[in-house]
Amino acid sequence: MNKQNSEQLLAAQLSDLPKELTPKRDLWLGIEKGIHNKTQLEVSNKAKNQYVPLSWAASVVFAVLLTWGVISPQQADSPAELVVEMQQNFEQQKQAMLVTYGQPKLADLPESLKKQLEDLASARKSIENALLEDPANNDLLNILRWTQAQELELLTKLFSPQWQSI
Amino acid sequence: MKSSHVIDASDLFIHDQEKAWITSAQQGNQQAFHQLYLTHHKRIYALCWRMLADKDSAEDVCQEVFVQLWLNIKKFREESKFSTWLHSIATNVVLSHLRKQKNWLQRVFSIEDQTIQESTVEMEELPELDKHIMRLPERARLVFVLFAVEGYRHQEIAKMLGMAVGSSKSQYHRARELLKEWVSDE
Repeated sequence: MNKQNSEQLLAAQLSDLPKELTPKRDLWLGIEKGIHNKTQLEVSNKAKNQYVPLSWAASVVFAVLLTWGVISPQQADSPAELVVEMQQNFEQQKQAMLVTYGQPKLADLPESLKKQLEDLASARKSIENALLEDPANNDLLNILRWTQAQELELLTKLFSPQWQSI
Repeated sequence: MKSSHVIDASDLFIHDQEKAWITSAQQGNQQAFHQLYLTHHKRIYALCWRMLADKDSAEDVCQEVFVQLWLNIKKFREESKFSTWLHSIATNVVLSHLRKQKNWLQRVFSIEDQTIQESTVEMEELPELDKHIMRLPERARLVFVLFAVEGYRHQEIAKMLGMAVGSSKSQYHRARELLKEWVSDE
């Protein structure tokens, strides 16, 4: 066969080449599975990326609030009002933090950790009660601040890593 | 004249239908995405098999193409035809699969695969030319499929395969010469 013929033969076969070939097995099931797996992976990565800055932001807000609380306690009108304000601020921060961490159930925590939280909460309440009797006591105020900070820090330690490991 | 109008209307319907599926799939509708799969998977599979010259790899890579399509479908902006855009995704996935498969010796020393493959049982069902294409050495086969079957230009192929434009042209010439020889021997 001469060169021109083989050229024509190739051109003819090329133009007849089917555009489609049919796979022997159904590929869709594998695609569905792949989509599911990769979508899950993307969601978890997004959650990770979303909550890491959120945790940072929460920590910064917490630090600012704490500093503000430490350096300007005299802004309240009276020592008794200051104690109430501290209690309210603390509850707000705690609730905000729990919302950030997806409202975790404290009851589901292991006993030892639950006890630590309960001990801190109980200590805080005792100090608050003592402050109701003696609202101008600066030492008690400082202990209350410290206890509140410990409680918030413990909550951060308990729930923040769970988000990051999704 | 009338029949051409009918064809135009039918094309228009298919185009509109596909556009609706794309929009739905972009909004996360997996059923619409399945319709896109049904419409395009045979062409994508053909591209994968021709480029990879291996049926099992072609099936796996074809699946990966559609997974990538799902993950990236929101990026489709109708600047090109959907099928063209999908084929470019497929080509990239195939090439990336081949790069991963290359052994370190080939990567380090740029040893070109000179082997002419034997046809396998799986190829029996294929048209004669396909059987020959799949016997071509890898680089020549890739260039031939991308240029002669998929319609890419040598500049684009050179960029995709990381070779000089001249190399792409010479690989294409080499592929043609081998194919001409083989089709003449039939």
